[in-house]
Amino acid sequence: MLVLIVSAAGMAEQPASRIDRVEQWLMAILHHEPGQSDEAVETVASWSTHEMGTLWIDVRNLLLLMRNPGIARFDVRHPGQGVTQPIRYTPVELRRLHALACAAAGIVTRRECLAVNAQTELGPELLRLARLATDARLRGDDNYVLRRGALLHTDVGMLTDGATATEPVGGGTSLAPQRIRMRISDGRETDLGQTAVHWETARLLLDHVTPRRSEAEAGAARPAPALDDMVRQWYRATAAWMQWKEDHETVHLDHAREIFPNDPHILFLSGCLHETYSGSRIQSAARSAVLPTGVTLDVGSDRAELRKAEGFFRRAVEVKPDFSEAHLHLGRVLTRLGRHADAVNELTRALAFVEEDELLRFFGELFLGAAQEGVGQLDAAAASYTRAAELQPGAQSPRIALSALARRRRDRAGALRDIRRVFELSSSGSREDDPWWVYHVTQARNADELFDDLIRPFLSASEPERP
Amino acid sequence: MNARVALAASAVVAGTIAVHAQNVSFSAKVEAVRVDVLVTDKGQPVRGLGPADFEILDNGVPQQVDLVSFEQIPLNVILALDMSKSVAGERLDHLRTAGHALMDGLTKGDQAALVVFRDAVTLGTDLTPDAGVVRVALDNEEPDGDTALVDGSYAAMVLGESDVGRALLIVFSDGLDTSSWLHPDAVLENAKRSDVVAYAVSIGRVKSEFLRDLTSFTGGRLFEIERTANLSSIFLSVLEEFRQRYLVSYTPCGVAKDGWHRLTVRVKRGGTVKARPGYLAGS
Repeated sequence: MLVLIVSAAGMAEQPASRIDRVEQWLMAILHHEPGQSDEAVETVASWSTHEMGTLWIDVRNLLLLMRNPGIARFDVRHPGQGVTQPIRYTPVELRRLHALACAAAGIVTRRECLAVNAQTELGPELLRLARLATDARLRGDDNYVLRRGALLHTDVGMLTDGATATEPVGGGTSLAPQRIRMRISDGRETDLGQTAVHWETARLLLDHVTPRRSEAEAGAARPAPALDDMVRQWYRATAAWMQWKEDHETVHLDHAREIFPNDPHILFLSGCLHETYSGSRIQSAARSAVLPTGVTLDVGSDRAELRKAEGFFRRAVEVKPDFSEAHLHLGRVLTRLGRHADAVNELTRALAFVEEDELLRFFGELFLGAAQEGVGQLDAAAASYTRAAELQPGAQSPRIALSALARRRRDRAGALRDIRRVFELSSSGSREDDPWWVYHVTQARNADELFDDLIRPFLSASEPERP
Repeated sequence: MNARVALAASAVVAGTIAVHAQNVSFSAKVEAVRVDVLVTDKGQPVRGLGPADFEILDNGVPQQVDLVSFEQIPLNVILALDMSKSVAGERLDHLRTAGHALMDGLTKGDQAALVVFRDAVTLGTDLTPDAGVVRVALDNEEPDGDTALVDGSYAAMVLGESDVGRALLIVFSDGLDTSSWLHPDAVLENAKRSDVVAYAVSIGRVKSEFLRDLTSFTGGRLFEIERTANLSSIFLSVLEEFRQRYLVSYTPCGVAKDGWHRLTVRVKRGGTVKARPGYLAGS
């Protein structure tokens, strides 16, 4: 994946009104090449948290107009509350928003769009966007702007990761969702602030995806993202990417499960998220964080998070019984919950499935050793740790486990011997030496591949094939 | 004479052990228990105590104190230092300075070793009587990665048990564990069986339960500080305090062989006593 450094030179001129920003946004969608850090990404990435909050509201209203160009009243529900608030546009703004919706939906020749003179209101670029949307409609897909808009915000979220500054908590548009981000380094909070709602905007767009239809089916279908393969793939790829980058977000997978409640991969990643939350990296940071009033971290105690993880892993293996990696994580979670006998069974099952995958076999043997220790099978534990050490000769963790096991057996000489082996292994200092050190992200090691598969159909023909 | 006797006594808790120290080499089969004891009166160490001055209860059963030694026993000082990336900058400077000061405080016969932990646990230098080697090793370490505090403490503890003499473990960490394989409870169980006395310096808002328990179970002390400017004086005070401790040994009598043994140590003439709260014996 590419990394973008947002520069001042790339920032767009400020629009005169909120509707101008919607137009800029549509232009960015038109010009953006998925997966690339192009000018469109730079433009959208330069918008402030407040500006993106306003855009989120206007995009939401644009989506309503795309499905029903006749509506004139827009109510937005306060996040987490039952209260709605009307969004009022001036007649000029509303007319312009109507025209933009006609372009985005590819329906500029419809009666409602002719009524707002959409064809004359729109410039040549927006008319080009309208033609592309129309072409997609003719192929049975009404979701041109929705899909490409989601990919644009995905790229902003991914390519500008770490480059975008946070803003103080409390600003922004209260009607739009807020995104508060805590940066963590070495188990401690290093920054807490609000960031722009790019992922939220992408989810909003994909929530409105309608099923592909044949030409014979007239009229706009109701949104049904659960029926769409691209949406499913998007959630799998983006959730994996977030975990690979340790950019954790509970809401993202909560929303994914609302749409795809029985997808084994989404359930698996949900389990991994909560397993990660239960780990010392996150727990340490959660305990040390100083949060502003009204802000809470969505992280429970380690045991609460482990129980959540267990639930998701169990559902994943129910749906996909041969899901070896889910069995593996389930076994690890059970060990950490102190249910060692169950863990031994689960890890034995996992090892039967993984076969040739050396990385998963390493984890399986290492975790099985810990579970066997838990049930007092010390000889079996030693054998499992030894197999793990043989699978990853550079890894410290199985050697440390063997040393502690020897020490537990009052074999001080054995404990010292294995610790000296640990010291011998530490010469290179590379994190790749011991998979245990990156266990918390290995479930997402295919994130790049998933993302490449996701964007491949959206790449322009002139672009070379992505590797 | 005291040094030799203490060395024999140090080969306790575990069956038959070959003991090699200085020019003395012998083996002994002992089941004695040794306890490092600090006795103070109004904050000042009390000196000159002998076996008759101590009263030890093992699981409530009075024990006959065999030996008491003081000061003359060489120390094995194991530094276990956090070299995760959050230590970079001023903290690292202070840590190096404190490590050097500690080395300056060692006396003839003492040894020191350096274990550092990031994600990985690394041996900076094995036990050596040459303080200069430790200084160089410390200066060569650079912060990086996460914090395997539990693994690092365990490795240092095992290293501390590898040689005769009194083992003083000094752990420094500026955060909580983020990457260890070992569970803290497993290491604390080992600590209950170990003769190593652990002192620790913890920096930051969040208190490390692991370091609190490690120092408590081994009869050491935890220093919780906000800034590292006075780290040198803390390290030196640890060394000074440890040198003021008595090494008291006894052969358990009238108590179960295995399991947790609660220890009560008193001084008959009065004073404040600091010692490990117990030890774990058997399987």
